[in-house]
Amino acid sequence: MDILAFISPLFVLLVIGGTLVGIIFGAIPGMTATMAVAVCLPVTYSLGLENGLALLLGLYVGGISGGLVPAILLGIPGTPSSITTTLDGYPMARAGHGEKALRIGICASLVGGLVSLLILDLFAPTLADFAIKFSYVEKFLIILFALSVMAALSSDLLLGIFSGFLGIFISLIGTYDVTKGGNGEWRLIPPGTSYWLESGFSLLPVLIGLFGLAAILDEAETGMKAGMSQKDVDIGKHERFSLSIFRGQWVNLIRSSCIGTFVGILPGVGGSAASILSYSNAKTFSRHPERFGKGEPAGVMASEAGNNGLTGGALVPLLSLGIPGDSTTALLIGAFTLQGIQVGPLFIGNNPVTWDAMIFAMLIANLAMFVLMYFAIRYFAMVVTIPKHILFPVILMMCVIGAYTINYGIMFDVWTLLIFGVFGWLMTKIRLEVAPFIIGFILGPSAEVYFVKTLESFGDLTVFFTKSWIAVLLWVLIALSVGGSAYLQTRKGKSAP
Amino acid sequence: MTFNRRTLLAAVSAAAILGQPFAAAAADLPRNIRMVIGSTSTGGDTYQSASIVAEALSEKLDVNIKVDAVGAVNGLKALERDSRGTTIMLFHDFAYLAELYGGKGFVNPFEEFKVGATIATNPGNAYLVGANSPYQTMEDILTAAAEGERVRVAIQPGGVSEIGFSAMKNAAKVRAPGSEENIVAVNTGSQSDKNQAMWDGLADVINGSIQANEQFTQLDGDDQKAMRFVWITASPETLQQAPEAGMGQLTRDDMMDYASPETSVTLDGDQDFTFDKEFFLIYNKDMDEAMIEAIDQALAEIYQDGAIQEKQTAAFFTPNFRPTAEAAEHLEEKRETYKKVISEISG
Repeated sequence: MDILAFISPLFVLLVIGGTLVGIIFGAIPGMTATMAVAVCLPVTYSLGLENGLALLLGLYVGGISGGLVPAILLGIPGTPSSITTTLDGYPMARAGHGEKALRIGICASLVGGLVSLLILDLFAPTLADFAIKFSYVEKFLIILFALSVMAALSSDLLLGIFSGFLGIFISLIGTYDVTKGGNGEWRLIPPGTSYWLESGFSLLPVLIGLFGLAAILDEAETGMKAGMSQKDVDIGKHERFSLSIFRGQWVNLIRSSCIGTFVGILPGVGGSAASILSYSNAKTFSRHPERFGKGEPAGVMASEAGNNGLTGGALVPLLSLGIPGDSTTALLIGAFTLQGIQVGPLFIGNNPVTWDAMIFAMLIANLAMFVLMYFAIRYFAMVVTIPKHILFPVILMMCVIGAYTINYGIMFDVWTLLIFGVFGWLMTKIRLEVAPFIIGFILGPSAEVYFVKTLESFGDLTVFFTKSWIAVLLWVLIALSVGGSAYLQTRKGKSAP
Repeated sequence: MTFNRRTLLAAVSAAAILGQPFAAAAADLPRNIRMVIGSTSTGGDTYQSASIVAEALSEKLDVNIKVDAVGAVNGLKALERDSRGTTIMLFHDFAYLAELYGGKGFVNPFEEFKVGATIATNPGNAYLVGANSPYQTMEDILTAAAEGERVRVAIQPGGVSEIGFSAMKNAAKVRAPGSEENIVAVNTGSQSDKNQAMWDGLADVINGSIQANEQFTQLDGDDQKAMRFVWITASPETLQQAPEAGMGQLTRDDMMDYASPETSVTLDGDQDFTFDKEFFLIYNKDMDEAMIEAIDQALAEIYQDGAIQEKQTAAFFTPNFRPTAEAAEHLEEKRETYKKVISEISG
């Protein structure tokens, strides 16, 4: 049996160890799955291909999953793909349901991971052929669809959309990167700042500044004593958790897992879009969309099933076309090359043992992630019982270290953290909204590239409507998303006293 | 004898100094060296070539060398700030091509930095067409351009990907002046974007590599993804050093068919244009010469031992060690050739 050719105690141990290390990386704000894989990549050379992949895939699944812990307990997304987990997970934690939110997130992560793994195993080459039907036009429309969630997340439609556009605008500062199809020219850089701003603002320092530092500044303004007491942050450890919470949510879970997988198979769309799109859909099709953003369990489910759905999806183009689906799977190509293995459209057929090993490693990684995280919840949860005068300096230190290391030691990234921390704190004062801002910031550069490339390639705007049936379908989804948000806002306006 | 804190500190310090490895101490090399690379990818060929050479140098000099994928602009900035030798850079021909193509923030590395030893060549830079393309060879492409047909070539502008495109335009100009206008660039980003441009019918020819595209050339011709090599830019001397088995189903002999002189893209009517993607070290301009010599010496011994060549060949690199002085002269000569090509087509 082929499976016995690679399974050994070492193989299983490497997957579980990798998952554990990945969870730790994902749980530290500023550290990501990509960093975990990058750090461990050189080790794989001496491990051999199957064992090396076992470690890396464990790190990948763990790294993506670990981000939900700080997102729920601290309101700081551990990774960019956990942003939407923060939107409902943190309000749940503040309302005393932190442990429940963690359990929901972990279960949803498992579902997302397993659904995407099943899709990967059964349909990888077919899906890769489908993925190449997505040209610049369809990719732009997917990004636009994800951007439409800005409206859904806004408490005030106009201010929310303005915040989103501000995020897009700021994300475009810097060089129009040739590696993404740009022309290498600088844009929107104020005079005298090109030395620092030519690469623009990095995403992770912006993210942890807006969510982490801004929250600390806010607490500092309120004062420790006036803030939440120990009792307020009781995460509900005596609350009984029942799977009945998922009743009526299976469609949401499966849909979000499939969206995550689908976004993963499209190179260049970006992992954050997976959870954003899943969240947006969950809200659009929910019977209680007004509860989203205020501690709705369905929001946590959608976000986590979506971002873990990405893990299997991103491997589809990697293993069927030799093209990585996201930044982390790009590193896996290095592991293959180090072992002298070519990755391309013939990979699966030419390397059945390696393929089986990867599927099996992903399966163990998802199960290990579930077991490790589910049973460690009480230890994770202890974070919120740490007194704030100890917790906040530690968070601040982790944020600074994360910002400094994300691009291998660029001091400007630490200044970015500080600038956006203060900016995030000020945003709430002038009623700008952080969530649409960060979504605009994340998706802005992709939207720009695909929009400009479409015009360069096809020459006119009508192609956005006429290119394919996929484009038409995407317009329908965008209209539903925007229309739903507008309807909700109108209803909210009418019901207001 | 009584031991006090100062005696203990002196003893520990002396032990630490004596514990320094001889090789590093002799050249005053720092204990910890950061090797920045001109790419932000830790899965690409720059990172791989840097990892291989950093590991060998670490062992030989008994110093710690850490490879950091900071990217071209940040790498050059880091190098500019540090003349102590704690930061060195490993990059490839993009280092000077970016400046020749007018890239923002790029300078002539031969003037602003110290260009060091070459360590390896990636012989894989290639151009491909779709399997059902009417163009079978580069000759077909250049003939089509001469006959007024528009040929669209997908590249990433401003570096290694563009130089082959510039050479195509230059060859078209040499063969039939004015026909170079018919060879037009489709500016894309990553390899994925270039492939997609072909599958979407937006490009007739794409820049790619043997490593990334060979499997697509094995697909059935009716598969939308199927491709065919038309040109490998590496010089025949470099390709001769590639493994005989080549990569996938493309043997070394097959590769030679797509490269000069079998596939000719003329430079000036007499010679063929070739381009080897070479990886080399770059130092701060004011870095101590003794350190550079120590690194050169260590590399000479490493390549003399022969183990590094096996690793490089396994990762589809061609070993290519030239000490600093020789490398700088060779690369500057290369730069002059490409500068001429670029200025010829720029009018």
